[in-house]
Amino acid sequence: MARYQAGDFAAATALVERIGPQLHRFFIAQFSSRADADDLLQETWLRIHRVRHTYRPGEPVLPWFYAIARRVRIDHYRKASRTTARERSLEELPNVAATFPRGDGEVDDLEALLAPLSESQREVIRMMKVAGMSLEEVARATSCSVGSVKQKVHRAYQNLREKMSVMGLKKGPSGGLP
Amino acid sequence: MKDEEVDEVLEKASRVAHEVEPALLERVAHSIHASLRPVRPLPPTWVLTGGLVVICAAVAVAGAARTGFHGIAKLSLWERVPIFSTLGILAWVAGKEFVGELIPGSRHRVRPGVLLIIVSVALLAVFALLFRNYRTEHFISAGIACLLTGLLLAIPAAFLSWLLLRRGFAVNSVSAGLVGGALAGLCGVTMLELHCVNFEALHVLVWHTAVVPVSAAAGALVGWALRSRSKLA
Repeated sequence: MARYQAGDFAAATALVERIGPQLHRFFIAQFSSRADADDLLQETWLRIHRVRHTYRPGEPVLPWFYAIARRVRIDHYRKASRTTARERSLEELPNVAATFPRGDGEVDDLEALLAPLSESQREVIRMMKVAGMSLEEVARATSCSVGSVKQKVHRAYQNLREKMSVMGLKKGPSGGLP
Repeated sequence: MKDEEVDEVLEKASRVAHEVEPALLERVAHSIHASLRPVRPLPPTWVLTGGLVVICAAVAVAGAARTGFHGIAKLSLWERVPIFSTLGILAWVAGKEFVGELIPGSRHRVRPGVLLIIVSVALLAVFALLFRNYRTEHFISAGIACLLTGLLLAIPAAFLSWLLLRRGFAVNSVSAGLVGGALAGLCGVTMLELHCVNFEALHVLVWHTAVVPVSAAAGALVGWALRSRSKLA
């Protein structure tokens, strides 16, 4: 990131290749349409590029990227809501993911697993599991306190535990849960 | 099911590879290469926070210099120390949060609304401890004059603060406006404590303290208007 700020082309390309797919997955989970996710990824990178001086070397880099990506996503959602005259808060975003998986089959689709959760819970789980961010980093990315993130994770796990128990979900042959 | 088992299921599901068209990534890289120049990162948080506190102090002193240092002259040392040290601490805390609002991915210890409550309650507590004269004269007229004076001084403080942080990027302009407004309001209160000689408890508790929430609300409104304007653009 410091080399990108210094104007290094190779560093910029490496960052796009490394962070781009993560951000694309972050968007596609929200908007289901690949075209929307592609547009948002490009818009996010343009914004990242414009404000790259706001990153300070030594600070965690993922929360910085995700905070900007979140901003772009919220702007896009609000714009879309205005167009369709359906103003709803992000907490009430429609469940674009598939419905919760049924039966005892193997579960590979993260979005299907997260479908019963609220958007804010899904967001923190995605950041932790897909991007591999810590509680502290998720708190920074979402402008929340660590306590608030912990509470969301706790509630998300509680929901998932209940749903998985009811559905009798298993991890499949490779995992082998009892 | 245990948490560890839920964790394992999630870990497995999240490991599924996500493919992005290489052409898309190439397009993105190409678009940023076109304007890739070295940039100077923002200074550390403590430098920016210190700058904000200095701006607030300078604007408050300049405002009092214009209207007269009558209030501080009438205050005893035992009243000056708690009032101005509280204002200094609150300005530092609000300044630090304001800097955090303008740097994506910053650590937030308190939410903007909670910060506003903390600042207001702290001011109320200090004023309630120091001012015990509950007699009131010209409560409304004198109060509105002080409120307006404080708010008028908050405008240059907010403008200079924005000038210092103009290279920042607010991920939530309403929150940033609210925190910036609260900081500018603290500058207005500081000026009132330097200038105002009306030590009636209700006057100070209501009208001096009110500068902070009113200024914060105005800041949030400006943030909201800026956000709406940028969305329309």
